[in-house]
Amino acid sequence: MSQASIDRTICKGHGRCYMLAPAVFDADDEGFGVVIDEATTPGDVAALERAVNNCPERAIAFASSAATH
Amino acid sequence: MSELKDAESPEIQTDFDIHSPDIADTVYDVYAEMRGKCPVAHSSHYGGHWVATKYDNIQEVLKNPTVFSSESVNVPGTIGQDGPMIPIEVDPPDHGIYRKLINPLFSPKRMAALEPQIRDIANELIDEMLENKQVDFIQAFAKEFPSRVFLALMGWNLEDSAQFNHWADTIVLGEPGASEERSTEVRMAAAMEVYAYFGEMIDERAESGDAEDITQILINGTFEDRELTQFEVLNILFLFLIGGLHTVQGQLAHSVIYLAEHPEVRKQLVDDPGLVPTAVEEMLRWESAVCPARVVKEDYVLDGVQLKAGDKILIPFGAANHDTSVYPDADVVDLTRDPNPHLAFGAGNHRCVGSHLARLELRVAFEELHRRIPDYRLDPDNPPERHLSQVKGVVSLPLFLGESI
Repeated sequence: MSQASIDRTICKGHGRCYMLAPAVFDADDEGFGVVIDEATTPGDVAALERAVNNCPERAIAFASSAATH
Repeated sequence: MSELKDAESPEIQTDFDIHSPDIADTVYDVYAEMRGKCPVAHSSHYGGHWVATKYDNIQEVLKNPTVFSSESVNVPGTIGQDGPMIPIEVDPPDHGIYRKLINPLFSPKRMAALEPQIRDIANELIDEMLENKQVDFIQAFAKEFPSRVFLALMGWNLEDSAQFNHWADTIVLGEPGASEERSTEVRMAAAMEVYAYFGEMIDERAESGDAEDITQILINGTFEDRELTQFEVLNILFLFLIGGLHTVQGQLAHSVIYLAEHPEVRKQLVDDPGLVPTAVEEMLRWESAVCPARVVKEDYVLDGVQLKAGDKILIPFGAANHDTSVYPDADVVDLTRDPNPHLAFGAGNHRCVGSHLARLELRVAFEELHRRIPDYRLDPDNPPERHLSQVKGVVSLPLFLGESI
């Protein structure tokens, strides 16, 4: 299980995260990313990792809980 | 520590000219050479300016608006705008206030609602294209598509699209081959016509007044607790025109050129439309149209080079996106590329406000074109003609439909 967080001072609303990991992120009314859920399935965790690596601002961090390891 | 280089250092001088037709076909090689020899180079053109070509350096510039102001983003300094283009030529804190008004107009959710209409526009143009075996893709699709979408978005008359394209081309390109003075002259004349047109649209809307399109929202818009002035509305609309038309046109055309020449890559898209989203990102990386400038506000050392207050620096996004330290196989097109944190829409405060619309337009165009025209090829006797400038694009693109190499 992975909990994502977006640094709102760094995020500029590119929208890569909610395109790549829609189960974890959504867009607010201005287009900035918001975290809506934890990544629970392996597929969602993989999508979250893609979101982290594709963010041009490097604004996303995530913490994995030990439960799945 | 090695000694700082500066504007006089002989080893970092380049004759790079962002408006030169001579390097329109080879500009990525030119960037690669500069990145290898002098990643922060000094050009003597347009009164002297810097050119950065490394991803990290360009990102550093984009993320530091205090030192790198966007009060003037063009080289030479004017493309005919009367006052700053809003919000791109505005610095914080005012910039953020304008963006709070404009961001929702181009939010992903608002754009998603437009998808059916955008798809209809694409299909109308494809219907017309398919009446011929050979078309100029620029005239038949690449120009018309973004300008009709723009007009639909604004709530204006779709029949004005040819006029819009003419204005956008003139303002972006000036008069190709003519002197800098002549180019500035024709840009300013086109810009005057654009302002007059926008003025009419604003007046009409102020009278009728009940639409909920972007024009109306801007007219009713506020800057903190005061209403926007007509001057502000005009300079927002001017930027929409410059930002929204020529950029998408170039992106579509560059993509089609590549896919015409690489049928095996095109076939991947035809066979699997699910590839389109990553394909769009990859084509954005591979051919990034935009090359803005920034004004240096205080002395600053960028990658061992001393920049001085008052200097201007070009930051070609296409150079960042071909940096082999970020993309080891930068010159390879990989439609599944991951990760791909490209800077085609910039980064930092001025991230392209129309990026969500641009992505949607590109995705719909890639899907519909390849669904309906799986095969196309270039005309070896009439190869495409590219142009440089601060928005790289394509002048003509003769294409045979229904045939492949």
